[in-house]
Amino acid sequence: MSAIETVSIFSGIPVGQAMRRQVVSLAATADIAQGIRMMIRYKANAVLLTDNDIPHGVVSKTDLLGAYYAEIPTETALGDVMGSQPIACFPDDLVEDALEIMAAAGVHRLYVTGANRDEVIGKVAYADIVGLLYRYCRACERGTAHKRLKHSGGDPSARLRVKDVMTTEVWSCGDGDSLITVIESLTSRQMGAVLIKNPAASYVGVISKTDLIIAYHRGVAPKSAAGEIMSSPVHAVPAEALLSTALQQMLIRDVQRLFVHDGASEPGHITGVLALSDAARFRSGSCRACTAGRLLVR
Amino acid sequence: MLARDFMDTQFHTLHPQQNIAEVFTAFQKASAIEKKKVFGMMVTDDEARLVGMLSMYDVLNYVQPKHVAIFGEMDDVDPTQAYRNRLSTIQSIRVDDIMTTDVVTVRPDTHLMVIAEIMIKKHIRRLPVIDDQTVVGIVYVSNVFNRIMTMFSAEKE
Repeated sequence: MSAIETVSIFSGIPVGQAMRRQVVSLAATADIAQGIRMMIRYKANAVLLTDNDIPHGVVSKTDLLGAYYAEIPTETALGDVMGSQPIACFPDDLVEDALEIMAAAGVHRLYVTGANRDEVIGKVAYADIVGLLYRYCRACERGTAHKRLKHSGGDPSARLRVKDVMTTEVWSCGDGDSLITVIESLTSRQMGAVLIKNPAASYVGVISKTDLIIAYHRGVAPKSAAGEIMSSPVHAVPAEALLSTALQQMLIRDVQRLFVHDGASEPGHITGVLALSDAARFRSGSCRACTAGRLLVR
Repeated sequence: MLARDFMDTQFHTLHPQQNIAEVFTAFQKASAIEKKKVFGMMVTDDEARLVGMLSMYDVLNYVQPKHVAIFGEMDDVDPTQAYRNRLSTIQSIRVDDIMTTDVVTVRPDTHLMVIAEIMIKKHIRRLPVIDDQTVVGIVYVSNVFNRIMTMFSAEKE
């Protein structure tokens, strides 16, 4: 019998409150091109594959990058490149338990089933839980953000800033590097996007996993130069910007990271990265309103 | 009462390589010509073969931010500006990237009853009519309804 009960912001919240009912799924026989279209249209990071309407597997953007790397034709069935089995939970399971299952299995999403285990009724993704945390923290009367604002009489300078939370380690590839090098860089460091530098060492663009699967879909050869498909210019926020402003930018643009410039030098000089998960960890882990309200970031 | 008897033979198409901005222009142009709202268009390749469909719903679904539920709670965000910013970031997306490729079609000799059944069962509002791999027309749910209504009115008289 444990004497100490750990309480977090998610204590008592069931998966049903964080899940999305829309599940992007396709038959395992559908081709890679269809899978990519579904991911783009629904802004999904993975597609559930079914066999005779029964959940059969999951294919993620990372799996598709592997297929692109191996130059597998986009007419190939998704079932041939799927990475893992779907992991399921129930809507009345707790969000905390769902996060633990995700960590143990090394996945970012769980599928939610009802009494019939073959019928998927929703999906709960790590990013959705972060979004839920953001909403709870924002609404919390006892939270750090509210208190700081109250004590400073509404002065926004007392609020959290991007520089307090960002990571200063920035990885990049050259604009002449091949997409193969970019894929290797993204997968080895488990990143969602990488900065692209020109020969003058200025950051000129960004390539995300989504950019790469679009290139795969459009038939761009993996040996092509990064400069051909990068998104340009780099959208960056100043290090002095309010954390809440940066979070809004991420949610509006549907990205899970923002690059940060120091404001003193030119905007092309990137000094850090702000990930949605960094922001979530900081908000929950540093706030005394939730005892041990720490969201483990993986 | 076959598809060829009541299908629209005047229709507008999109090309797979058109981008989102061009799609908006094409929808506006088609609506102006037809003098009615056009909610979906067929996508054809250079040989006029049907390769997909793109509906207004598909485009809206893509334009919408994923975490839209949070927007309601952001009282300091101007939704108009947020939408403008979004449109500027998504303009490189092409028709081929988001269109539906799993399209249900009928032939010119498909019967009205079969067409009505497909529309009801599969919740489809428009069906391309294909003859020898080429698009020859489109049947809207309104075509089907009007044809059935005309039949009933004629019987009454």
